[in-house]
Amino acid sequence: MNSVRELAALGDVDPRVAAAAQQTALGRTVRSTTLWVAVALLAIILLFGALSDGVFLRADNISDMAVNSVIAVILAVGATFILGAGLLDLSIGSSLLLCSIVSAKVTTALAGSAEEVAAGVYPNLALGIAGGVAAGIACGALLGAVNGLIVTRLKLNSFIVTLATMGIFNGIALIVTNGVNVPNVPQQLQTDFAGSKLAGIPLPVFLAAIVAAAMWFVLTKTRFGMRTLAIGSSEEAARRANVPVDRHIVSLFVLMGVLAGIAGIVDLARFGTTNLEGHQTDALAAFAATVIGGTSLFGGRASVGGAVLGALIPVVLATGLVILDVVSFYQLVVVGVILILAVWLDQLRRSRFN
Amino acid sequence: MRPPVSTAERSTARAHAIELRDITKSFGHIQALRGATLQIRAGEVLAVVGDNGAGKSTLMKALSGNVVPTSGEIVIDGASAEIASVADAQRRGIFTVYQDLAQAPDLSALENVFLGREQLLGGIGRRIGLLARGEMRRRAEQALDDLGVTIPSVSRPVRDLSGGQRQAVAIARAVMWATTAVVMDEPTAALGARQTAIVYDTIKATAARGLAVVVVSHDIPNIVSLADRIAIMRHGRVLVTLESEKTNVDEVLRLMLGAEVTQ
Repeated sequence: MNSVRELAALGDVDPRVAAAAQQTALGRTVRSTTLWVAVALLAIILLFGALSDGVFLRADNISDMAVNSVIAVILAVGATFILGAGLLDLSIGSSLLLCSIVSAKVTTALAGSAEEVAAGVYPNLALGIAGGVAAGIACGALLGAVNGLIVTRLKLNSFIVTLATMGIFNGIALIVTNGVNVPNVPQQLQTDFAGSKLAGIPLPVFLAAIVAAAMWFVLTKTRFGMRTLAIGSSEEAARRANVPVDRHIVSLFVLMGVLAGIAGIVDLARFGTTNLEGHQTDALAAFAATVIGGTSLFGGRASVGGAVLGALIPVVLATGLVILDVVSFYQLVVVGVILILAVWLDQLRRSRFN
Repeated sequence: MRPPVSTAERSTARAHAIELRDITKSFGHIQALRGATLQIRAGEVLAVVGDNGAGKSTLMKALSGNVVPTSGEIVIDGASAEIASVADAQRRGIFTVYQDLAQAPDLSALENVFLGREQLLGGIGRRIGLLARGEMRRRAEQALDDLGVTIPSVSRPVRDLSGGQRQAVAIARAVMWATTAVVMDEPTAALGARQTAIVYDTIKATAARGLAVVVVSHDIPNIVSLADRIAIMRHGRVLVTLESEKTNVDEVLRLMLGAEVTQ
């Protein structure tokens, strides 16, 4: 391509455009939200490290924080695709919960007879766990498909649809459990997966890293990722370009559901039981992390790496505050402030050219 | 602007002739088209002009598949062609550049050019939908180059481009996929003089590639000098089609506004 300066000399280039084009790769990196989130996160980590005389930076603490972030990371990465397409999914916490219940029930049903399982004996443990994992993922896909089909077939706003299904899925979770967490989940899920390490790294952290890497690849390298952002940027443009928009939106919700299902299985494995009261704010946390990481609230622009960093921030803050003996509730305040800053930055960037 | 590369080398378009025969279209009680007939030749810029309500947009929508005529026939290369949808028109090689451009502003120029027609890598890459970004970039740069369009980078979001450049990218997209005709609805309506000039250069380069370019415009003085022929519409019919060399702005305006054809 000809140089911009040459064009600018001809006078037919908007000076702002010329300025944008002359941005170096470095300049663009400096402007990227992801980089600033990384810097902020690193600063927080170093600050806690200094204030805690290094306790915060010990390997076991880092490892604990990583494990504590796994579910938030998996959900935030999924939320990146949903928000990138200009959609919302408020039901992911309820989906996670319902899928962990389905997974737990299938696992205990397959692992042995009712008496054996009640006594903590699992003659068919492998079958039970395999069945439980498959059921948890299938559950997520199904719930996602429900969201996607309602949004596309009834042509309803995803915010309202998933606000409704958040309540519906949560209600079903309480109905099928009678409000009591599923008992007798095999301990081996905790000992052999959630609490287990490979090369010093906890297995769930490996899982989250693989999920994040795969989703980064899909977003940046594939047609699916490109069309996701196209829909978020201009649904009309995507439709006129013959992109099967409705089918794509259903796929996005199914993908989000599958990730919520996987997160539900991780949750079950970590705590050895379902957690009926623990996922009310998961969806909001996931979308907050996504926006903090640089994904546009209006769709069209998304960053998987940023979402991962955004998901780490609350965990790092909460852990650091506990270690410093400060009430960890301050974490909520700080994350809220960071969220407002992130959205403000996004808005500034949008208004620059429009 | 560089002159376009010789069309003999790179042109993918074959010479197609399109004829709209006696097209009518009613919306309820309103007759937007009352038997419009128009011949469109390969490699020409054909301007369609007329006062508001003359039926220009409806006739173009019939060609681009956005409107299904009540009666009449569309003939391509002597054979009747049914165009009942945008997809039908695109299968016939007819692509439309919409007034509002229909671009995804956050996507790059190259992504906008290829949206819906992405190129994939071979083998396993195809199965997982892996984009052939290198190949797409090369072809997008080539397409813009062929039209004499220079933009800062095909990888930057089109949001960052000027109005004329965005229009040029939209035209490049249509030219890349069209084999018969490119239809443009008011391509310079929102642009200043300098940006309009960029777009007119792009339109000429498009016709030079052997495609028929049909332009609906209100910009009469400029369109008379740009177009090879000018079709003047009135009351849902094509009143007359004039060679631009044998007419002038005054005559076109008079015919548009109600004078009788004297030729």
